[in-house]
Amino acid sequence: MYLYLPVALTSINILIPVGLGLVVGLLSGLFGVGGGFLMTPLLIMFGIPSTVAAATDSNQIVAASTSGTYAHWKVGNVDFKMGFHLLIGGFIGGLVGVQAIKILRAMGNADFVIKMTYVLMLGIVGIYMFIESLQSMKKSRKKNEVSLTESPVKESAVSRFLKSLPLQTHYEKSGVTHSAIIPIVFGGFVGILAAIMGVGGGFLMVPVMVYILRMPMHVVVGTSLFQILFNCIEVTFLQAYTNHNVDFILAVLLLLGSTIGAQVGAVFGRKLKGEQLKIILAVIVLVVTVKIIFELTLTPSLLLGQAGGH
Amino acid sequence: MNLKFQISNFKFFTYLFLFLLIFTGQAFAELTVDANHSHVKIDFFYHGSTMSVRGVSDPGVDLIIKLASPDGHEVLKQKGKVAGVLWMNVGTLKFENAPGVYFLHSTKKVEDILSSEEMERHSIGYPALAKHIQMSPVSNEEEKTKWFNEFVRFKENSRLYSTSTGKISLTEKDGKGNYYILTEWPYQVPPGTYTVTAYAVKDRKVVETAQTNITVEQVGVVKTLANMAKNNGVLYGIISIVAALGAGFGVGLIFRKGGGAH
Repeated sequence: MYLYLPVALTSINILIPVGLGLVVGLLSGLFGVGGGFLMTPLLIMFGIPSTVAAATDSNQIVAASTSGTYAHWKVGNVDFKMGFHLLIGGFIGGLVGVQAIKILRAMGNADFVIKMTYVLMLGIVGIYMFIESLQSMKKSRKKNEVSLTESPVKESAVSRFLKSLPLQTHYEKSGVTHSAIIPIVFGGFVGILAAIMGVGGGFLMVPVMVYILRMPMHVVVGTSLFQILFNCIEVTFLQAYTNHNVDFILAVLLLLGSTIGAQVGAVFGRKLKGEQLKIILAVIVLVVTVKIIFELTLTPSLLLGQAGGH
Repeated sequence: MNLKFQISNFKFFTYLFLFLLIFTGQAFAELTVDANHSHVKIDFFYHGSTMSVRGVSDPGVDLIIKLASPDGHEVLKQKGKVAGVLWMNVGTLKFENAPGVYFLHSTKKVEDILSSEEMERHSIGYPALAKHIQMSPVSNEEEKTKWFNEFVRFKENSRLYSTSTGKISLTEKDGKGNYYILTEWPYQVPPGTYTVTAYAVKDRKVVETAQTNITVEQVGVVKTLANMAKNNGVLYGIISIVAALGAGFGVGLIFRKGGGAH
């Protein structure tokens, strides 16, 4: 059955957005990412204008991340305190990032910088996560024990410095103690990059929480979804208010699949170990990286495209 | 308005007079054009439509039927190679005097039945559009041709431009020609007013034209939502967010009741 989308100005077979929603929602519930890096290009492939695709996806993520946060919260896997601190940083970072884009645009060659940042970030994060989770899987197999948390780390100069910072806070849910400055600064860093790349940044926030904040993977997923929820509420509102690019009908079709997918993902994720989750996410990130590299090097079928987007 | 109408009417009759003067003695039927859907309504279940165009013509002429939107202005992203290997957006290209939608059907290949001056005068065919549409920034003719071809490819890919030859059926009855064509009206065509022009062609010249309009309009829920998105972004944004939050919580509660808590 086909439905007409009033803002995208196109007609779509309803099975396509519902199916895409289900798949991306599943990833969202499993890994704590919004999945924009998959959803937006897929929507464009099915004929949705790029600007509408990005804006509508953020609306859909509001639903998927609400569903996912709820599922993870029920089993105590959302660290609200950490989430708030990351959000403060993310909000400031977003403001800085928007200004950074303006400066890049004024300097010219902005698209080059944006694309390169995106490919490098995806590549580095994917490779690092892949290698690290592979190693910790081997370790835990040797010890013949099931461990959801990180293997203990040696006290380095960096961690001694971090411990000396003021505002030391204990995050009960995550079982870690950090200076509140750390999540704010790294939340800000992710916020800047996400704004420049025009993505939600879940794929960056998850590794920051795992490797820098040393949070257990299952709490990372729930907490990441919690902060994605707030980011996407803000983005959806701004898109609807300033760009008029949110397609309500498309969002509803997507969320029919994604809210259910997020629940299934959350249930399924509990059955997997932290390392297994990390390695699958690493593989997905690497596949996306390779896909973007192909797009950059193969001659595109069309040399003109709709203007807009970021 | 009225004066303009009178002038164009006057022009029309002058042409008609000249035309009759030249072709006196020949069987003559006034060219007419009619589209079956003069008012296309986009509702919730709209998935494109078909458009049949029919009319009466003088027998022995060739026919060209153009369905197009008024000339407009478009800005498109331009892809190019950066650092020799990487394809990415390198800038934007502005197109002026470019119809957003352009469907052209003819009994024979347009270049074979019309002189290039006549094609240009009536904006018939891609070569005529290439001269009519203005692009910037392009530095030379070669670049202009390249990007015009890309523009057509982009438009054809979006199903907003198309051409066909030989799809118009012609029958003759009582010294009058009847023509008919059934074409697809893609769902990608946005709301707006479109002009259907029939051109009767003889001796590499347009000898007669006739026009009618097609209006494409959103109706019902589609119209309400589109208007709200455009004119009341705050309310629209809030409704979108609340609906998404509600759906997320709702599904969460359903799954809880389903017993998947642990």
